Amino acid sequence: MDFLHSLDSILVSTIVMSIPLVFAAVGGVFSVRSGIMALGLESMMMVGAFFGVAGSYFFHNAWIGFLCGMAGGMLIGILHGLLSVRYKVNQVISGIGLNLLALAATTLLMQLLWNNRGNSPQVASVQTTAGFLLGIPMVGPILGKLSVNAYIMALMVLVSWFALFKTRFGLRLRMVGENPKAAATMGIRVHKIKYIAVLICGMLAGFGGAFLSLNHMDMFVRDMTAGRGYIAVAVAILSRYNPAGVIVCALLFGFCDALQIYFQGGAVPTQLIQMLPYLVTLLVLTIGVKHIKAPEGVGKYDDE
Amino acid sequence: MRREQKKQKIPGPFEINGVMLPIVSLILAIMISGIIMAVCGYNPFEAFGAIFAGAFQSKSGLAQTLTQATPLIFTGLAFTLAKKTTLINLGVEGQLLFGAMTAAILGNLDLGLPVILHLPLTLILGMAAGGIFAAFVGVLKIKFGSNEVIATIMLNEIAKLFCSYLVNGPLKAEGAVSQTEKVLPTAMLPRIIAKYQLTFAIVLAVLACVAVKFFMERTVKGYEIRCVGMGSKAAETAGIDVGKMMVTAMFISGAIAGLAGACHVTGVDRRYIEGFSPGYGFDGIAVAALAGENPVGVIFAGVIFGALRSGAMVLNRTTSIPTDFINVIQALVVILVAAPLLVKEILMAGRRKNGFFT
Repeated sequence: MDFLHSLDSILVSTIVMSIPLVFAAVGGVFSVRSGIMALGLESMMMVGAFFGVAGSYFFHNAWIGFLCGMAGGMLIGILHGLLSVRYKVNQVISGIGLNLLALAATTLLMQLLWNNRGNSPQVASVQTTAGFLLGIPMVGPILGKLSVNAYIMALMVLVSWFALFKTRFGLRLRMVGENPKAAATMGIRVHKIKYIAVLICGMLAGFGGAFLSLNHMDMFVRDMTAGRGYIAVAVAILSRYNPAGVIVCALLFGFCDALQIYFQGGAVPTQLIQMLPYLVTLLVLTIGVKHIKAPEGVGKYDDE
Repeated sequence: MRREQKKQKIPGPFEINGVMLPIVSLILAIMISGIIMAVCGYNPFEAFGAIFAGAFQSKSGLAQTLTQATPLIFTGLAFTLAKKTTLINLGVEGQLLFGAMTAAILGNLDLGLPVILHLPLTLILGMAAGGIFAAFVGVLKIKFGSNEVIATIMLNEIAKLFCSYLVNGPLKAEGAVSQTEKVLPTAMLPRIIAKYQLTFAIVLAVLACVAVKFFMERTVKGYEIRCVGMGSKAAETAGIDVGKMMVTAMFISGAIAGLAGACHVTGVDRRYIEGFSPGYGFDGIAVAALAGENPVGVIFAGVIFGALRSGAMVLNRTTSIPTDFINVIQALVVILVAAPLLVKEILMAGRRKNGFFT
């Protein structure tokens, strides 16, 4: 295998593999910045992936699938929001409970819909690439091979960063996350902001999940996300809860995924290579996050 | 005085206290899953009747119930113990796999030992493997501040892949199936009734629960662990080494998970088969929730979920209702037990006054 020769394909797959993580992690940033922990990201991604395939299956259109995936993520998002805001549940437990529920429910639905526990039938998927960019010298071969979703991702990150740090809504959201009492004193509707934040989180994570099932593959597989939601939480922390930072951190993990794909079938056993993204996450958790502080109000309930 | 304040905060005709909350949650979860079944076109009353009959009415059903309950009791206990120091050990699954793999390797070593030595050695080393694996997470947590929830999930995937590598590579037995060689007869956990898969592991599981209860309530270490759980600042002021207690609790928690895996390998399958665990580690979370995080309650909670599981397997043979709806019940129990306010609101449905999202 000629490493240099396949450098551009590694770069392409690095970006492609990091897209679901970027979407989910930016969603997590919105959630955490508003003071709600994001451990439920896994469930939002998984339900997004499932709803995406179900939407594509019933409407024969992958883009409608993506819309369904976003709706599915938002459904879990609002559930998470209700549990944490209205019912004051321990947010770690509520996130884990939702993750368990998502795994169980998608497996059950798969059996009821398609009578198969392992995977769904193949559906229409999105393989559109921005082929018109192929002609650009140097970077053309890379830019042109990317799915259009890569460009949607860049736009999304830009908009998210602007919304969080340059608008009145973003300022209020961050204030709610830091000090809900002060925010409430100023007349900000704390709960409303939190619900909006978890809905945005669900929408983005659902899109990221749908990307797994409708772009990386063309079907839903049981336990499709396989811990990616938790990796996204790690990415969100490592980015210091900043959408711009998310891209950089997610690319690191995307690179591990890409390397893993590149080395598959080589001399090293597949399973050992597949460990790479998980090992890197563990390493990052060990050396990278000690001094990163979450917003003051995360996980607390003194907001009424 | 304080009590009155509490009552004012959550008005209602009745209070849901310690033991009632998990039971009410379980009933609600079963009802919700019954509604799901009805929507899918099955009669929930017939289904749950069949589950109950399948789980308890015959000797084989009862044996299957206890067989299913065994790993659930172990993993529920493991989760409960870590939770006592406020740690969420989501890595029970990985610790269980490591324990199982270690037992499979040890069980295959011909050391010329009699049963009385070989079997305990196999089980203890399985426990040690799970324990060390879990203690590692505790060390990461106190030394580097790593979030233990994410760390344990990552280690689960790593353990799953590493064991998969072993069972498909160097340790693979002859044949198409990904499994290790059968363990030696000296390392086999005896079965209680010859025909069924029920082994003495259930006895070990119950003993483990009782031992943990004794440890938590009658020993100094146990007392210190409980102190850490009630407030790490206060515990530290009282001179308790919080970090050490967390690592200790994680080690014991992981050892129990490892024992679950070792028992499965030496008792049920007699070898490590890839994918033998349908997620026992995560089932433990629901068991711990239903038990109200009480070590002895874990026994009952484990048997309840074991019965649901074995009954659902019988049901699955006669109808096409998938056994996965048990997992839905379990997940709902985890959520409902954590949400007393929600349970209360469901029970008082219709009397709500203020808006839903305010």
